[in-house]
Amino acid sequence: MSCDFLLLQAYDNIVLAKVEKERLLDLTAIASLAEALIKELDRHAKVSMVLDLSAVAAMSSAMLGKLVALHKAVKAQKGRLALAGLQPGLVPLFTITKLDKVFEIFGEAEQALLHYRKNRL
Amino acid sequence: MTCAALQILPGEAPRSGTCVFALRQSSRIDRKQELLDRVAGELLGKGWVAEADRHWLYLCLDEVVVNAMLHGNAGDPLLEVEVALWAEADRWALLITDQGDGFALADLPDADDPASLLLEHGRGIRIMREWLDELAYYRGGASARLSRLYASAPPEER
Repeated sequence: MSCDFLLLQAYDNIVLAKVEKERLLDLTAIASLAEALIKELDRHAKVSMVLDLSAVAAMSSAMLGKLVALHKAVKAQKGRLALAGLQPGLVPLFTITKLDKVFEIFGEAEQALLHYRKNRL
Repeated sequence: MTCAALQILPGEAPRSGTCVFALRQSSRIDRKQELLDRVAGELLGKGWVAEADRHWLYLCLDEVVVNAMLHGNAGDPLLEVEVALWAEADRWALLITDQGDGFALADLPDADDPASLLLEHGRGIRIMREWLDELAYYRGGASARLSRLYASAPPEER
């Protein structure tokens, strides 16, 4: 299953994944995104991932579940996962579900990249 | 405002006021969006939900319809969901009923249990309760009642 709204760039052991879709509510789109992210993770060893969600205005609990799965997959290979660029309307989803305690969240993708470069695993 | 503690009750969901529309739709998830647009169109068009809350409305509709189609009706396209929108005295109420056997509160993850943080499911009801004024389940969980106070429309437009 391909994902035509995901842009991937690799910097050494950091992958920047930018989601270019406004609404992550469609289950097929969510599944294709999750599969593409896991596939990218599998291509690297001990990689950290920065997921740029700045274009995303809405997401469902199904997408939150996929993010948790991605978090576990990254952790399993000793990497780190950052979420970046959350729009204000999305922030409550993470606080309500307490996922703000699970993910490393950055205002912008560049901040996350800089942080991971400075704090290499 | 977060609504009161979640309840799953055995009987029919209460309804009062005027039925704006009622329809049945097959549990085809690929046709979910049509249903969401129909309900959201009524609520936004009448001013019963503020435009600023559009994303919350769509999110709640998505969660409840996906639950009904995929969990309640197990994704069986031969099974239907019933959707009815009611105009009550001070609020709108949406009733969504599937043909499944319902569920129990024990089936839902405990939000206060740290172990549930890393589960990959079970957050939809928590999210809906954050925005709605009322979320309750009837018919043992097979019928959801979602309601919220009218946003701003004057009574004559209801």
